[in-house]
Amino acid sequence: MTAPDAARPARRFRTPPAATAILFAAIVGGVLVVASGANPLDAYYQILAGSLSLGALPDTLNWATPLVGMAVAAAIPLRGGMINLGGDGQMAIGGLVAAIVALCLPAPGPLAAIAALLAAALAAGLYAALAAWGETRHGIPMLVSSLLLSYPAIGFCSYIVRFPLRDTATGLPQTQMIPESARLLTIAGPLNVGMLIIVAIAVAAIFLDRRAIVGYELRLRGLNKRFAGYGGVDLEKQAMLAMFSSGAIAGAVGAIIVLGSDFRFIDGALLIPSYTWSGLMAALLANGEPVGTVVAGLFFAALQTGGFAMQRETTIPRVLTLVLQAIVILFLAVRHGLGRRGA
Amino acid sequence: MPVLELEAKGVVKRYGALLANDHVDLAVERGEIHAVMGENGAGKSTLMSILYGLQQPDEGRILLRGAEAHFRSALDAIAAGMGMVHQAFKLFNSLSVWENIVYAREPKSGPFIDRRAARRRVADLARRHRLAVDPDASVGALSVGVRQRIEILKALYREATILILDEPTAVLTPQERDGLFDVMRHLAAEGRTILFVTHKLHEVMAITDRVTVLRDGRVVERLQTKETSPREIIRAMTGRSVSLSVEKGPAQVGAPLLEAIDLTVGRGAKPAVDKASLAVRAGEIVGLAGVAGNGQSELVEALVGLRIADSGGVRVAGKDVTEAGVAERRAAGIAYVPEDRALVGSALAASAADNLAMGFQRAPPVARGFLIDPAATAARARALIAKFGVKIESERAAVGSLSGGNLQKVVVARELAHEAPVLIAEQPTRGLDVGATEFIHRQLIAERDKGRAVLLISAELSEILALSDRILVMYEGRILADMPQAEANEETLGLLMAGRTQAAAA
Repeated sequence: MTAPDAARPARRFRTPPAATAILFAAIVGGVLVVASGANPLDAYYQILAGSLSLGALPDTLNWATPLVGMAVAAAIPLRGGMINLGGDGQMAIGGLVAAIVALCLPAPGPLAAIAALLAAALAAGLYAALAAWGETRHGIPMLVSSLLLSYPAIGFCSYIVRFPLRDTATGLPQTQMIPESARLLTIAGPLNVGMLIIVAIAVAAIFLDRRAIVGYELRLRGLNKRFAGYGGVDLEKQAMLAMFSSGAIAGAVGAIIVLGSDFRFIDGALLIPSYTWSGLMAALLANGEPVGTVVAGLFFAALQTGGFAMQRETTIPRVLTLVLQAIVILFLAVRHGLGRRGA
Repeated sequence: MPVLELEAKGVVKRYGALLANDHVDLAVERGEIHAVMGENGAGKSTLMSILYGLQQPDEGRILLRGAEAHFRSALDAIAAGMGMVHQAFKLFNSLSVWENIVYAREPKSGPFIDRRAARRRVADLARRHRLAVDPDASVGALSVGVRQRIEILKALYREATILILDEPTAVLTPQERDGLFDVMRHLAAEGRTILFVTHKLHEVMAITDRVTVLRDGRVVERLQTKETSPREIIRAMTGRSVSLSVEKGPAQVGAPLLEAIDLTVGRGAKPAVDKASLAVRAGEIVGLAGVAGNGQSELVEALVGLRIADSGGVRVAGKDVTEAGVAERRAAGIAYVPEDRALVGSALAASAADNLAMGFQRAPPVARGFLIDPAATAARARALIAKFGVKIESERAAVGSLSGGNLQKVVVARELAHEAPVLIAEQPTRGLDVGATEFIHRQLIAERDKGRAVLLISAELSEILALSDRILVMYEGRILADMPQAEANEETLGLLMAGRTQAAAA
């Protein structure tokens, strides 16, 4: 059934929903700032200057590296309609394995770093795949198992650095410093090669999503799992592979922090900034679409970095940026939800 | 002078560039059974959604008993005395019959549901309208025919005076269908008005008073059933004359290409499929008849590999595929048109190109190495869209906006493109109009004439009888009968479908 072109109604110009959501969040946040007796324009200026000015940009990118990494890690299963809530545990495993390999492997520096990174990705990937295996073989929902598997992993890593591998020199729950030769090369300021690794991972994820057979099959699974199964996609293998990739990226993020910033595994240090959850929110906002996920991840990283600056420069606590982030998400989620029901 | 119960005047509804309803006028008299007919995509569903308040018209008015009505939602329509029985039932399977019927309008005593009053009212209502149901039965355990009665009772409980029945006979046995017609006549005699959406000509001729025919969103004909003929209605629906029967030559039968040997799905005393054996040979269409829910779906899933059978074996083109997954069985030679084109046979949010590539994504020309070749995928999709006459803007458009017939063409185009020796077609024309049905039927016969083995699963007896060379009947997981088409007729098959082998033999 085709209608003449004359019947086509004029398409109204629509502002992108993300822009509306950010504007709305800025207004609500501004009201909160005014209510607390401060100047909202000053607050927003500090956030912008503290995240996007030339001096602040390296800090933002340094914060964005693990956040975007965790966002991509969350996006991969999400693209196929699955969810990995165990990023914290996988990141901890990756960090610990990287530290152990870098400390113990008698290899020349760069090789030790590469080996540490790969071992971290492998270990965390296998641990994440365990959740997929539990679902396909034993019917344990991945939503539950990926999260629950996270806690013993965190606890185990914590035990290892408190007892067998504790650095006796400092007495703190952390490993010894890894040798300088096994650390990731510095680019400038706080930035190191880890950022380039995450860029490469994100580019690979975007390319595979758009062009590769695995990307096609995962995307179609996300749109209709039964259709993919009917078309001959091996759903069990696919779930394992998606979770392995997700966990491996999370493990790599943990390794990059250990090898590039902390230079040792410090109990809890990987988890305090909540990269996993910021990353998951970024991926959810983009519905697992990798380009959108990266953009959302960068936005959250800028907002959070700007928050630290605002807290330093004004009397407004950085919690404001978390409020802004929450309002953006809520507003976009509402738009999504309503849009879908209308369709 | 008959009283007009419901009128649509100049209703227009657009979806983007698509004009789904183009100044539609509909007038339904009180107490009549009024058929709304049309091919898929003619705008019947859109019109019904507008009448029932599910969608708002872009232009035009709805008049209810002469007064203009504005339904903002189905709740408004229900309050105004409308009731709709959808094709897919909207029931709570885990609740009892009476709970489903009184839902959201429970008789109360204080803050609690007055269960006794509720049960009594449901029983009274069922008796008065001769819709036999057990108020305490659990809906999940009931047959499709009984569930439909519950849907009708639900509408009557809400005091509906206008009933919209959307393709109500698609899932019924001939006997159940006749029962439904009795109920419809009784309701009309009581002064209720019935809008009957259907594709089936003989049903329209049997039960309706008047017919409104839609084509391309416009009303093309208003007919008195008594004064018209099936041929005239078809001409109005399609704009051309269509042959009602299917023409085909004698079967050139070869070796068996699809075999099931004592296939069993499920355990316990009553497995879903109970030691079913069948063989479909090259060059024949084998029809599997049966009321929905008698194990056909499970049997098909076990044949195509979506489910591993608990015992028994499957052979495709001589190869044992009992332990194989879907991909391996497809490679061995199965193409499969699934029962539910929207839930299984396609991804509605994905483009036509993506939908048409499924199952081909791992081999050239769609695949190039580990990548998908977008140009080849698009070219292939365009070729299939043209060959099968799918009405779609472009291969990049999502298939979710297509009408049922066009979506089914996408599914059939993809599966036939496999050129597989075995074709399993499950309810291939369910909910399709005459034109699309005829098209699919021609494709199935062409496959048979190419020497392929076709297994046709259908609840539609006329379809089974028209297409099959051999007919099997499935009842409660077992295959009850295997007969040449020439020995079968609607009555025998109907009795076998109800499990009455004795009566059928007599």
